[in-house]
Amino acid sequence: MNSLKKYLLNTDGHFGQFGGRYVPELLIPIMEELQEAFFQAKKDPSFKNDLLNLYHNYSGRPTPLYFCENLTKKIGGAKIYLKNEGLNHTGAHKINHCLGQAILAKRMGKKRLIAETGAGQHGLATATVAAKFGLKCRVYMGARDVERQRPNVFWMEQLGAEVIPVKEGGQILRDAINAALRDLISNPEDTHYLLGTVCGPHPYPVINTYFQKIVGEEVKKQLGGLPDYLVACVGGGSNAMGLFYDFLDDKKVQMLAVEAGGKGIKKENGKFAHAARFGAMPDGKQAGEVGVVEGFKSYFLQNDEGQIEETQSISAGLDYSGVGPQLAYLHDIGRVKFTYAVDDDVIAAYKLLARTEGIFAALESSHAVAGAIKLAKTLPKNKIIVMNCSGRGDKDLFIVTKKLGDKNFANFLKEQTKNV
Amino acid sequence: MTHIVAGYPDLKTSEKLALLMADNGADFVEIQIPFSDPVADGTTIMQANQKSLDGGTKVEDCFELMEKVTKEKAAGKTQFLFMTYFNIVHHYGIEKFCKKAAQCGCYGLIVPDMPIDEEPQEKYLENCKKHGLKAVQVISPLTPERRLKMIAKAAEGLVYCVSKFGTTGQTSELNPKLSSYLKKAKKYIDVPLAVGFGISTKAHVEAIWKEAEIAVIGSKIINIFNESGGDLKVVQKFLQELNSYTYRSS
Repeated sequence: MNSLKKYLLNTDGHFGQFGGRYVPELLIPIMEELQEAFFQAKKDPSFKNDLLNLYHNYSGRPTPLYFCENLTKKIGGAKIYLKNEGLNHTGAHKINHCLGQAILAKRMGKKRLIAETGAGQHGLATATVAAKFGLKCRVYMGARDVERQRPNVFWMEQLGAEVIPVKEGGQILRDAINAALRDLISNPEDTHYLLGTVCGPHPYPVINTYFQKIVGEEVKKQLGGLPDYLVACVGGGSNAMGLFYDFLDDKKVQMLAVEAGGKGIKKENGKFAHAARFGAMPDGKQAGEVGVVEGFKSYFLQNDEGQIEETQSISAGLDYSGVGPQLAYLHDIGRVKFTYAVDDDVIAAYKLLARTEGIFAALESSHAVAGAIKLAKTLPKNKIIVMNCSGRGDKDLFIVTKKLGDKNFANFLKEQTKNV
Repeated sequence: MTHIVAGYPDLKTSEKLALLMADNGADFVEIQIPFSDPVADGTTIMQANQKSLDGGTKVEDCFELMEKVTKEKAAGKTQFLFMTYFNIVHHYGIEKFCKKAAQCGCYGLIVPDMPIDEEPQEKYLENCKKHGLKAVQVISPLTPERRLKMIAKAAEGLVYCVSKFGTTGQTSELNPKLSSYLKKAKKYIDVPLAVGFGISTKAHVEAIWKEAEIAVIGSKIINIFNESGGDLKVVQKFLQELNSYTYRSS
């Protein structure tokens, strides 16, 4: 393949054996309509202008590329740079594809946006663009994630969105995606499903990669040269594709994707204790197997029967059994290497970044921080690592205070409940 | 045509239900192999899938069930099909799955998330054909004529027509545009049309019969089963009431 960049935005939506459009017949014309709208818009200069305008003036792009001097000194290895996507409006990279898809939805004459969300960041960004573009909005969120990320539910509702807790299955991201697909099947004509990662049926992986690639494009300009390594966390893979994409054809640049290691790459009570599709299980076998779920072919955490399994991670946004088909392909051809970070290492990385640089990374992004720290230690000082801080950590207040056992904060909460 | 979820509420009862349907006039019975992510199914069937899986139903159990009912009803008119999602087939191995299903006496497969567009890389239709299984195609009210032509070429046994927008078993009203939709389908498709999703009453069946050969009743029977506390006699009574309507030799 001459250009990976070109290949991974192809009109056909297959990437090696991965990707495709494995959806019920009712959704095929809907996906075709979206595909057509996207590839037409891509050729339209006014679409690009509208999008860039919103990136700059609404979301606050370009986001800074920041040299973590203190962290670098502390680690004593390669130079660590941080792409601060957390400084976007709504606090994460998710706004990038939400703005793009909202313009597409408008162009298609849709009246209603629906979305799934894990950590709530994508839901929040969807609710935000729905408010801005005057569209109705419904967000599906696993009931367990609602518990973990309650503040984001409040903010989504403030923006006028309806948040539906999904009580089926493991009550996490995958169940929310299924619920959103069912909604789309029921309302195919007036609704746009604003899918929030580089997964799902064609054209979603292509569309979201296209809207996220601005992250890497900015890094390239800001750095004024090529880095040696790029590091990003991977659940579905939207922030990783965003950072990696523009460098795919620069062979010198190595790429590291960090999956959620949860409590370790093993099973607990018959269920996966992690969400690392490429992690090696105790028997040495890769945890994820090729499957076809939620409309696309990729690696999924599944059992011996082909049933999709529940996953575990401290971060709701990475707590997902599948991985984007482009990333599955990049894994298989060896262009992107995968590793994982376990929950405890993630918390340690979160703390270290806060103490050395004054930046709270989201727990999802803290996986990338953990991966970058580990990598930096093994490299000489003249090497450059760029890690993607895909979101800011404010939203994780309750998980972190619980994990750190902060008694004063617990007392504060008790006091607050008296006032609400 | 009727529908059961294998292993719901348990394997023995789902076998009894399948036989009961055959004895009471169902010309086709869909046996669903449960899946963790049944995206085309509504609440009733989704929950039945989950309960079956919670009860430990394995794919091999479903093959055994298929073999039992097809042997038992070998002399009858009823055809038994497997309905499931593509990951189950893919994970088992497409060729191996088709071979095994055929050995068990299965008539055909309904796999709603395996559109013909993915045939070049999956060779699913090819394997069905090789093993004498009818790969049932699905159409919907949104399927454009261009696709109807494509699907008509691949059609075998029957074509499943999703009656309306939505997942299985949601509303009680038939799609008001059903007639024109089915007329359009008939222009291209020669095999019998089976109309499903939200079909629950005699009146629905009668209406469908004006336009198509087969009415599919799925969630409704599971609901009747559930509401009666699992009373097979109540299910039988419902089937008998529909008997003269659901069966029509084509």
